[in-house]
Amino acid sequence: MTLIERKGSQTIIVADAELSVTQKPLHVARAVFSYLGELWCYRELLLTLVMRDLKVRYRNSVLGILWSLGNPLLMMAVFTIVFTVMTPSNIEKFPIFVLCGLLPWNFFSASVIGSIRSVVDNAPLIRKVYFPREVLPLSVVLSNLVNFLIALTVLFAFILAFQMPITLWAFLLPVVIIVQVIFTCGVALILATVNVFYRDTQVIMEVAMLAWFFLTPIFYPIDILPRSYHLGDLTIDVWRWMYMLNPMASLIATYRVILYGNGFGGAPPALDFFGRTTVTALGVFILGMLIFFRYKRLFGEEV
Amino acid sequence: MSTAIQFEHVSRRFVLHHHRARSFQELVIRMLQGQGNGRREVFWALSDVSFEVKKGEMVALVGANGAGKSTVLKLISRIIDPTSGRIIVNGRVGALLELGTGFHPDLTGRENIYLNGAILGLRRDEITRRLDDIIAFAEMERFIDVPVKHYSSGMYVRLGFSVAVHVEPEILLVDEVLAVGDAAFQRRCLERIDQMRANGTTIVFVSHDLNAVRRLCQRAIWLEKGCIVADGSPEAVVGEYATQSYAASAALAARRELCRHGTGEVTIEEVRFLDGEGRLRDFFSTGESFTIEMRYRAHKVIERPVFGIAIHRSDGVHVTGPNTQFAQYEIPMVRGEGVVRYTVPFLPLLEGTYYVSVSSHDRDSICMYDYHDRLYPFCVLSGAEERYGLVTLRGVWSWKEE
Ligand SMILES: Nc1ncnc2c1ncn2[C@@H]1O[C@H](COP(=O)(O)OP(=O)(O)OP(=O)(O)O)[C@@H](O)[C@H]1O
Ligand SMILES: [Mg+2]
Repeated sequence: MTLIERKGSQTIIVADAELSVTQKPLHVARAVFSYLGELWCYRELLLTLVMRDLKVRYRNSVLGILWSLGNPLLMMAVFTIVFTVMTPSNIEKFPIFVLCGLLPWNFFSASVIGSIRSVVDNAPLIRKVYFPREVLPLSVVLSNLVNFLIALTVLFAFILAFQMPITLWAFLLPVVIIVQVIFTCGVALILATVNVFYRDTQVIMEVAMLAWFFLTPIFYPIDILPRSYHLGDLTIDVWRWMYMLNPMASLIATYRVILYGNGFGGAPPALDFFGRTTVTALGVFILGMLIFFRYKRLFGEEV
Repeated sequence: MSTAIQFEHVSRRFVLHHHRARSFQELVIRMLQGQGNGRREVFWALSDVSFEVKKGEMVALVGANGAGKSTVLKLISRIIDPTSGRIIVNGRVGALLELGTGFHPDLTGRENIYLNGAILGLRRDEITRRLDDIIAFAEMERFIDVPVKHYSSGMYVRLGFSVAVHVEPEILLVDEVLAVGDAAFQRRCLERIDQMRANGTTIVFVSHDLNAVRRLCQRAIWLEKGCIVADGSPEAVVGEYATQSYAASAALAARRELCRHGTGEVTIEEVRFLDGEGRLRDFFSTGESFTIEMRYRAHKVIERPVFGIAIHRSDGVHVTGPNTQFAQYEIPMVRGEGVVRYTVPFLPLLEGTYYVSVSSHDRDSICMYDYHDRLYPFCVLSGAEERYGLVTLRGVWSWKEE
């Protein structure tokens, strides 16, 4: 790993081959330290890129806002018709139930699909200017976060319209959102890196996201899945595996508990459950940062 | 700290994977067919390059295509990492971007200035402070709040350049971006670069325009296949480089067949340029002795043939078109091989690149034996004090008070 150290306006770049084995740990520590300082210096670029995305989306402001709000509303309407009229499922206040899952999912899916291409799409810049490449996928996630927050107003409007109580547990919402942002950033960093080397990642992920959507309890409650499933001698705890393997399922379950409860207002989430989700999200995030950090030095020649 | 850039034994290797899978689809197919990743080839784009650039110096990098010039700039700006060696850079690095790289078509000029400024590492308030200057330099007052997708490409270039030069980097990297844009724009760019140099900006300049290199830079480094061949005054380095590179130019050889026509009784086999001492050169200064030498072969006996030349400047201006007939220089008869020379004791051309055409035809200009259309370029460097226009007339000034 090349050592890049910045002291004031001086930058020292030392090729890996120049470092002896004993020097390495110290150098890596110094490199990581300068790297964090540099990320901090470029925070304005991140903000500018987020503003760019939002401006472009809301340039035609009426249409932009309508689309951010209208798309989840339409999907909600479709699910409501299917699951209350065509195959009644006896879920209390189904539109709210479905929005609690749909909005976080849309945020996740738009961020992932958008960030996969973010590095490759900016190839001309990457070949010409240095800046921390992390800002590209991260800005996509953050601008989608803003859209998510705007769309959340619809959810609250529905909660009020259905005369459902908003309980104090709703104050946990920011924490849940932050955990989701951390998880999403991790996934975004990993996939953006993979896409630089294997350009069909994007196509594969579009299909994968559709599968992921159906495998996540968004328009159905987890209760409809069997608790346990017998595979020969093996007994699989389906719920447990779902939550363990799919952080989005855990996150959506938490959103649902604190905002919807069982249709009668938010309820307290299980803390150990949410704690595990947080740890998973942080783990994915750190993995994403490491993978990105390891491979971004090759972006300049690969894109 | 008087050093701006220091390279210490820097090498850079590229691994060329000739058949590396670039998608999962390919990867799976490879695996099913049981093929590995195919042939790998290691290519050294730079090997053991050391040099130092002082603060405020303007250095040119010259060299053939693929010599490693852009690689050096990419290493300085941290776009790629060195394979071995050490690089020290003192000061903020800025690069001139081509054609508004990084502009978003749906945003207005003003918004793009902020975007581009942020990409180049400026804070918002720093951009706000420079905003008026940027707009004024680009001469874009009227269009600044229009989305850039409605700009002409010239406006795009102007705005991008204007942002880049107002970032006020301490080290400016210029990689052939001046080749785009019209002549007026190029002049403005060069003026601005000159001004930045006067203000103490360190500049590394990559260009195939050797005249610009000679005029602007204090030092030139010649790279060849990733190694430094020469490092010194632009006069010496550029002269040496130009003489060498042109002789080996493969592109020219390819053109050679295309731009030839004629019946072939007398073919021109070789054209060379010689200086006053009879040495081969492609690079002359205004005022030097200049000779064009044509080596011909007559395939049968031809009486009273006419040899001619034409000189065009690179922008197509026809400078002159002498021939032996106009000069009333009669060649009674040719057979076999021979040489025709045209000597100009004092070359009046001012700096630029010129192309020589040569021809051999019969007395009545009916039958063209051989004609090479603008196949032979040579460069003139500004040896004279005069610098505007095409030629020096060697006129004499006088003054008298009455
Ligand atoms: N990303 C890359 N992968 C593989 N090889 C590369 C890569 N970038 C550059 N090279 C090789 O490195 C060599 C040097 O390239 P470089 O771009 O520095 O040349 P240059 O001197 O700028 O040439 P030009 O005058 O054409 O711009 C070339 O042979 C090129 O093929
Ligand atoms: Mg180049």
